[in-house]
Amino acid sequence: MGIITLAQIAGNLNLIGYGLAALGPSLGLGLIVSKSVESTARQPEMAGKIQTLMLIGAAMVELLGLLGFVALLIM
Amino acid sequence: MVTLAGGDGISLFIPKLYDIVWSLVILVVVAVFFYKYFMPKFNSIFDERAEKIEGNFSKAAKAKEEADEAKKKYEEQLNGARMDASKIRDDARSEAKQIIADAHSKADADAAQITATAQRSIASQQQQAMVKLKGDVGTLATSLAGKIIGQELKDPDMQSHMLDQMLDDMENEGKQ
Amino acid sequence: MFESVSKTTILAAGTGADLPTVKDFLPPEILFQGTPFAINRIILIRIVATVILLSVLALTASHAKLVPGRWQSMIEMGIGFIRDGVVYSVMGELRGKRYVSMIVALFFTILVFNLCGIIPGANMAATATVAMPLAFAAWTLVQYCWAGIREKGAWGFIRDECFTPGVPWPVYFLLAPIQLLELIIVRPASLTIRLFANMVSGHLTLATCLAFAQYWVFEASNKLTGVPVGAMWLVGGLIMTLFEIFVAFLQAYVFAILTTAYINLSYPEE
Repeated sequence: MGIITLAQIAGNLNLIGYGLAALGPSLGLGLIVSKSVESTARQPEMAGKIQTLMLIGAAMVELLGLLGFVALLIM
Repeated sequence: MVTLAGGDGISLFIPKLYDIVWSLVILVVVAVFFYKYFMPKFNSIFDERAEKIEGNFSKAAKAKEEADEAKKKYEEQLNGARMDASKIRDDARSEAKQIIADAHSKADADAAQITATAQRSIASQQQQAMVKLKGDVGTLATSLAGKIIGQELKDPDMQSHMLDQMLDDMENEGKQ
Repeated sequence: MFESVSKTTILAAGTGADLPTVKDFLPPEILFQGTPFAINRIILIRIVATVILLSVLALTASHAKLVPGRWQSMIEMGIGFIRDGVVYSVMGELRGKRYVSMIVALFFTILVFNLCGIIPGANMAATATVAMPLAFAAWTLVQYCWAGIREKGAWGFIRDECFTPGVPWPVYFLLAPIQLLELIIVRPASLTIRLFANMVSGHLTLATCLAFAQYWVFEASNKLTGVPVGAMWLVGGLIMTLFEIFVAFLQAYVFAILTTAYINLSYPEE
């Protein structure tokens, strides 16, 4: 890529904002998955229920990351 | 190069009228299809399958019950037959005993009869022999006496009188 | 998308990769322009996808036998997965029975619409305009509001949702509007944005990979570095394609399970 392209990317601050906004949800997702793996290891018979709950929680957290993406698009 | 948003990113999130119309049309079509045709069809297939499996189970259970019953019946029959057989055997045994006993008693009776007949005939023969002997001895004695005493005893009254006396004497002698 | 990329790239050779923009999601109307029944590219994809989905499922259902074949057992596996793994495991069989049709319809439709994003020739998810996810979310909204009103009555439903018991009363001034907002706006909006933004970002990422692959292999002046870099972008595009398949399935699943969970929340506590 040439120097002009780099300058153009640097000009879009939204992307940096989105990168920052993705930080929080990524941490949250990591926590959710690690905890649910832990719980599944403790109670393997509850694996199905835990997976369902994990996916619901992950969907909530994912929404936050996607809100950052939406903000990137519309601003 | 065009930037990502290009300023009209907001228009992405404002649905257009025709977009809404088509989305709703498709939603309704899909919903009607799934509610009215697809799911009832598959639900009926699931139900039918479950019923069939259950039916097979109950049929198997019924068959087993029937088999059990038949077995029980058979065993009962077997037991009855066994009992019958033993009864018949016992009957036969007792009958045989009876027959043997009958034969025994009959044989005994026959033997007794034969013995009695024989004894009777013996007795009668003895008597005959006795009578004959008596006669013979009489004649023999008479002839002997005649020969001994000669012509004196030609008179039959005398003869028999003498004979009786002699026999009495002999009897008395025998008794003494 | 491929056609537009290659065409503009040829026209504008040497000016840089033709990266995807949000314009991809706002294609021009091609039929019935200006009427409420105007059709653009994405709507055409959506209609074709619907027709194919419904005719395949109708064919499967009309030929359905008691002893399933390979294809039928695959469809049945999908139905069983949604029924047992999603609806019955979240709501229980008694409540869930009436919603199985809806959740199965949502799952199958969203899955097929999402998969359009990686089908060559379409290359755009049929859920990639905001109205389609919005329509699905509106269906969910109607269903869980109706379930709540039927089970608790209109006032009981609003009271249970807004005035959560066990909270000191001054807090209600703050809590009740937030809860009402959550109930009516946030839930459907979150469903919509999750699905839509996933499709948009997936398309943008995939198209970016392919556009750069095209640029580096065919347009870059230095072929010695251009071809290996382009090949790497192509591999990236392949990986993103596989990832998009996963996301298509995951989003359909998440939409189904969240709808079930929202409906279940409207029912009184057991």
